[in-house]
Amino acid sequence: MTASRPTSDAPIVSVRDLQMIFPTPGGQTVALQDANLQIMPGEFISLIGPSGCGKTTLLRLMADLIQPTGGELLVNGGTPRKARENRAYGYVFQAPALMEWRNVLNNVKLPLDVMNTPKAERDSRAREMLKLVGLEKFERSYPWQLSGGMQQRVSIARALAFDPPLLFMDEPFGALDEITRENLNLELLRLWRETGKTVVFVTHSISEAVFLSTRVVVMTARPGKIEGIVDIGLPHPRSDDSREDPRFFEYATQIRELLKKGHS
Amino acid sequence: MTAAPANLPRPARRPSNLLPMLGVALAALLLYWPLMLWANSGQAARSLASGADLGCTTALACATQLRNPVIPAPGQFATGFTSLSVPPLAPTSAPYNALVTGGETLLGLALASVLGLVLATLLVRSRSFERATLPWLVASQTVPIVALAPMLAVLLGQYGVQGFLPKAIIAAYIAFFPIAIGMAQGLRSPDPLQLDLMRTYRASPAQVFGLLQVPASLPYLFTSLKVAATAALVGSIVAEISTISFSGLGKMLAENSRASDTVALWVIMIYGAALGIVLVALIGGLERLVTRWRPPA
Repeated sequence: MTASRPTSDAPIVSVRDLQMIFPTPGGQTVALQDANLQIMPGEFISLIGPSGCGKTTLLRLMADLIQPTGGELLVNGGTPRKARENRAYGYVFQAPALMEWRNVLNNVKLPLDVMNTPKAERDSRAREMLKLVGLEKFERSYPWQLSGGMQQRVSIARALAFDPPLLFMDEPFGALDEITRENLNLELLRLWRETGKTVVFVTHSISEAVFLSTRVVVMTARPGKIEGIVDIGLPHPRSDDSREDPRFFEYATQIRELLKKGHS
Repeated sequence: MTAAPANLPRPARRPSNLLPMLGVALAALLLYWPLMLWANSGQAARSLASGADLGCTTALACATQLRNPVIPAPGQFATGFTSLSVPPLAPTSAPYNALVTGGETLLGLALASVLGLVLATLLVRSRSFERATLPWLVASQTVPIVALAPMLAVLLGQYGVQGFLPKAIIAAYIAFFPIAIGMAQGLRSPDPLQLDLMRTYRASPAQVFGLLQVPASLPYLFTSLKVAATAALVGSIVAEISTISFSGLGKMLAENSRASDTVALWVIMIYGAALGIVLVALIGGLERLVTRWRPPA
């Protein structure tokens, strides 16, 4: 553990010998094999690997969007299903998936509408979240009027609106350009520090994973499995200078080696 | 985070169609005169040869004087319009009958919308319902409406349903199909990610329907409503022609066609076209009102 905050002893996500097999026309695909991982509250965990390594599968399993074919998975002290039913996590998808008929404020309010939050609270809560992602001036805009990066920030605000202890993010910045992505990385780290959420972040960018994470889970494909876990000892709060730190390159090299090991 | 201007510019509206449309209207107007003379001259020549006294000497001059011209001359149009439009609300006037037909069409469209929405919801909810009923729905639309209308009118007449309502029901019969199909497509249009998102919120099926599927289907609904409106108009006019009717554009068409009054037929046809345009424009206006969130096309 290298996170700069105190954490309790019980893991918030516990993955034991988890297995996910998809039936395919020619037989079956092992999307995830014997995965083991403990995530402590307040951590920022990245899952990194090539496509087909099961990183998105692992995240979808934690979110109860699919059910495992074997092993044990505990999220927020219970089954993933219970975590979903208790609204214990916010999920940010690869695409913003905004409702194009709702303006920015109402998009952030969507989970509060679904959860029947008291009406008076919805507006103030949504405005607070928009302020957190720096979009308070755009609450009346519609999604098509925003850039891709702004849309993804709205979807992050939406995921945080109901204050879940966990934040699951599936390559949220994958479709954005490098400059926007690095800005949003900085913003996400600030959000993480300010809110104290536990973040599980799927990416295929090594530098993004090193920059953001307290630990990086390196995964390899065919069959999808966890190849190794790298502790990132860069101090917090991180800034653009962290990218120049010699240790930054050491961690990146370690991750690259693990990825290669799985490839051979 | 830099503070960007909050008032994002909306993209400029697409250039209006008005000028190109006026160009086509002008071309049609320029072509009208020679076309009218050409279309009527044959009949005029035959009338002259048979010795009829038309008060003119050449086929070209007589082309504007025929009793039942193929294409009426401007003067004939003017008299035809006046005699069929003044007073506008007399039972024999075209405006009054257009209102009757328009009312039948709108009522038919309303019935079709209710039926279409219910069917679309069932089609989307249940695969087995879709497999069992979709072929029959398609089959229902292959029955020629002209053949079906008299039978439906007789059938409904046995239950005391007469006049206005049978026409609306026949209009609804052909209008419900595009609405059901378009709406079903719309209800299925949400992105898989949006459906996953609702799942992460533990949204109930009713919430997924009301907060995601219905709003996502609105653009589809309006597109199919425009198709359905023109279909319903055809339905109510056909129903008026092919059943016992005491008013409506279809009843006027039937009467004047028996009397070979081509000028009246032209005038009624133009009223019918105008009615269709008004109905589609009404739906277009409603669409712009309801889907304000969409970017300008």
